[in-house]
Amino acid sequence: MVDFLQALVDGVMLGATYSLLGLGFTLIFGVLRRLNLAFGPTILVGIYAGSHVGLAWPGALWAVVAATVVAAILCGIYVERCSFRALARQAPVVSMISTFAVWMQLQELVSLFEASRTMPYPSPAWLPALTVGPILLRSDALLMWSGATAIMLALFVLLYRTRFGTAVRAVADSSEAAALMGVNVSIIGAAAFLLASTVGGLAGVLIAQSQQQVTPYFGLWATVKGLTAMLLGGAGSLPGAVAGGVILGVVETQTLWHFGGQWRDLASFALLFLVIALSPRARSEPTL
Amino acid sequence: MLAIEGLSKHFGGVQAVHRVDLQVRGNEILGLIGPNGSGKSTIVNVVTGVFPPTEGRVRLRDRDITGWQPHRVLAAGMGRTFQSIRLFGGLTVWQNLWVAQKAKSWLAVDRASMKKIEATLEFCRLRDKKDELARNLGFGEQRRLELARVLAAEPDLLLLDEPAAGMNAAEIEDLRDRILALKQRGKTVVLIEHHMELVMGIAERVAVLNFGVKIAEGPPAAVQDDERVREAYLGHRR
Repeated sequence: MVDFLQALVDGVMLGATYSLLGLGFTLIFGVLRRLNLAFGPTILVGIYAGSHVGLAWPGALWAVVAATVVAAILCGIYVERCSFRALARQAPVVSMISTFAVWMQLQELVSLFEASRTMPYPSPAWLPALTVGPILLRSDALLMWSGATAIMLALFVLLYRTRFGTAVRAVADSSEAAALMGVNVSIIGAAAFLLASTVGGLAGVLIAQSQQQVTPYFGLWATVKGLTAMLLGGAGSLPGAVAGGVILGVVETQTLWHFGGQWRDLASFALLFLVIALSPRARSEPTL
Repeated sequence: MLAIEGLSKHFGGVQAVHRVDLQVRGNEILGLIGPNGSGKSTIVNVVTGVFPPTEGRVRLRDRDITGWQPHRVLAAGMGRTFQSIRLFGGLTVWQNLWVAQKAKSWLAVDRASMKKIEATLEFCRLRDKKDELARNLGFGEQRRLELARVLAAEPDLLLLDEPAAGMNAAEIEDLRDRILALKQRGKTVVLIEHHMELVMGIAERVAVLNFGVKIAEGPPAAVQDDERVREAYLGHRR
């Protein structure tokens, strides 16, 4: 029972970062109706930038965070210009294939310039671990969960309590009607992209400080986790992406505890397949 | 107020609208009628920036707005409703208006904007529904919300694309009063409608389209007596 509870708590904490990745995917998919497969690699570049800053200025954690987020945002702008704005009149599948090409570009760039391939990422080592009864709450996991929760709350306030957020949701609902009601759909699309990149960069900080290292394959990992969280939550629903991330985290940690690490990804992909196959919601139109 | 000059719109080999000239005067109610497929909605879509014209110009208060994007057309003072309702179903009634209204802030709600939204909801009899999701409203309420939403943007010229479609007699009477009230408030209205009684009852002038071409224009009584209009609606006499 303790093992189950411990895995559940670990899953919820890990799942909070998956939720952030899922929210990033959902923002772009919901507003632009196009998948951004390069979302993970933009975070990868951000984390590598943060890693370099961490090596150059040990202890300057805020500089590491800023470098990670800014680099992720710059990469996000690059993806938006290359694969979305330039191809806005093309079919969505063209944009998606273009984001796959950008993904490969970014991953190869990182591999080319990083001889060691695996880079360290600083972590706030002074944070203490907590124990609640028999449950251990690791400091990095606590930071991951609390940071992700704070970012999600801020994002939900922005999207559900401001006119900007209402316009974003209106565009997701009907971009043609929104344009005819005075909303500049291109600007809202770019803003949603920027917001998603910011959320992705912050998610990258939280994940990398927990793993304390990064490899060029982080991009693939982040894309798969974010896409899975979004699809589990219904493809286009912001609350759904949050729930999808947490479910994914819990399934992974429970599988890890009870069956071993080699089954972890298989279990989450099996769950994803079942949800897509059985739930009409996962195949529905986005409604932020 | 609005000048449509030699407007054509072709979709591939299909001429949806062909060299249409139309003037809309300030503070008038102009009826735009025609059988199904005559090009009425295409004209609305072209002048509001949904499609670029194949040829011709659109001027709003002497400004050439041809090919402008829809949000710029609305900012210039021309708004529209839709033939098939296109509300933001996942937003509340109030939020539907909040998105459309002219407000400086993209974050907070200012007092002036709030008052305007409340007044528009009152005008369209939706005040008690303001916190409901648009998708949960009844059909007549959704039609009123479409009107309220475009009014929130404060356009001077309104293009109402079949606003009476699907309404019952009482709702059409209510719509009629609302359009007349808009005229009293200084708005200009172009009424694209199949409901002849409504159009002929309130329009000061009527323009008739058939197969993408304007075949008649004038006071309602004169248009009703026009032989070409009768042919368009009833077919050729044998």
